[in-house]
Amino acid sequence: MSETGSVAPAQAGLQEAIEQQRATISELLTPVIEVWDGILALPIVGSVDTARAQDMTESLLERIVATGSEIVLLDITAVPVVDTAVARHLLETVSAARLLGADVFIVGLSSRTAMTLVQLGIDLSHVTTRATLAKGLALAFSRLGLVVIPQAGSTRHPANPDRVTP
Amino acid sequence: MERVPIIRLGDVLIGTVQDELYDHDALQLQEDLGLLLERGVAHGVVLDFSTVATVDSFLARLIGAIAAASRLLGAATVVVGLQPAVEVTLVALGLTLPGVHMALNAEKALALLAYLRRDERGG
Repeated sequence: MSETGSVAPAQAGLQEAIEQQRATISELLTPVIEVWDGILALPIVGSVDTARAQDMTESLLERIVATGSEIVLLDITAVPVVDTAVARHLLETVSAARLLGADVFIVGLSSRTAMTLVQLGIDLSHVTTRATLAKGLALAFSRLGLVVIPQAGSTRHPANPDRVTP
Repeated sequence: MERVPIIRLGDVLIGTVQDELYDHDALQLQEDLGLLLERGVAHGVVLDFSTVATVDSFLARLIGAIAAASRLLGAATVVVGLQPAVEVTLVALGLTLPGVHMALNAEKALALLAYLRRDERGG
């Protein structure tokens, strides 16, 4: 009798703590960053479920409208597993952004992720993808007609010239 | 069993397949290419099959998978030097390798990759 009396409030407290943490995590996890005039980046950390995908898409669309951006870099470097469900969520985000006239590049694919997507038979033929955020940014610059050149007299040259002049 | 050597020439990776390509080596090639492309070192892959006498359905499918995975990592794949007999067999088997670019030789493959790259920037 005394046991059940103490367990119920403890469980309720636990439940509340979990809810609070969930709210905190969902706020933390969907930052939309303006990396350049007209270029947004959306780094995704952790797994993507339906609720999160919706939050993400919503905040992304708002930012596209607010900033008038043309290109979005969807960075999935920190997404551990990309399965059919995650891929579907990502594609929905891509399609939604496209309706606003923004081009979405999915960047940060590992070779493992790429192979998994191919094996799962997920059609990404209409989506532009790149292995790294840097490659995506370089492509975004060239789409916007921008060129990055080293300062005159600068002795510091990048290891990969492709990164600077796409 | 022999690992397919991958040469990096500028920002193109060239894999020259020797004589027979066994399943194990083909999977190793896929893995090696993936790890290189993941680092963003290349925008194109050329696979030379000029000395390969037989291509079975497994290998054909794997070439398709390599091309698809490479595209996701930002690189186009061009297969060169398939022998006429091999091509006839592939077509007869219904393996037309969609999504894989073909070229007559390595030189034409490099020209094709350069063209694809220009096209992508403009788009």
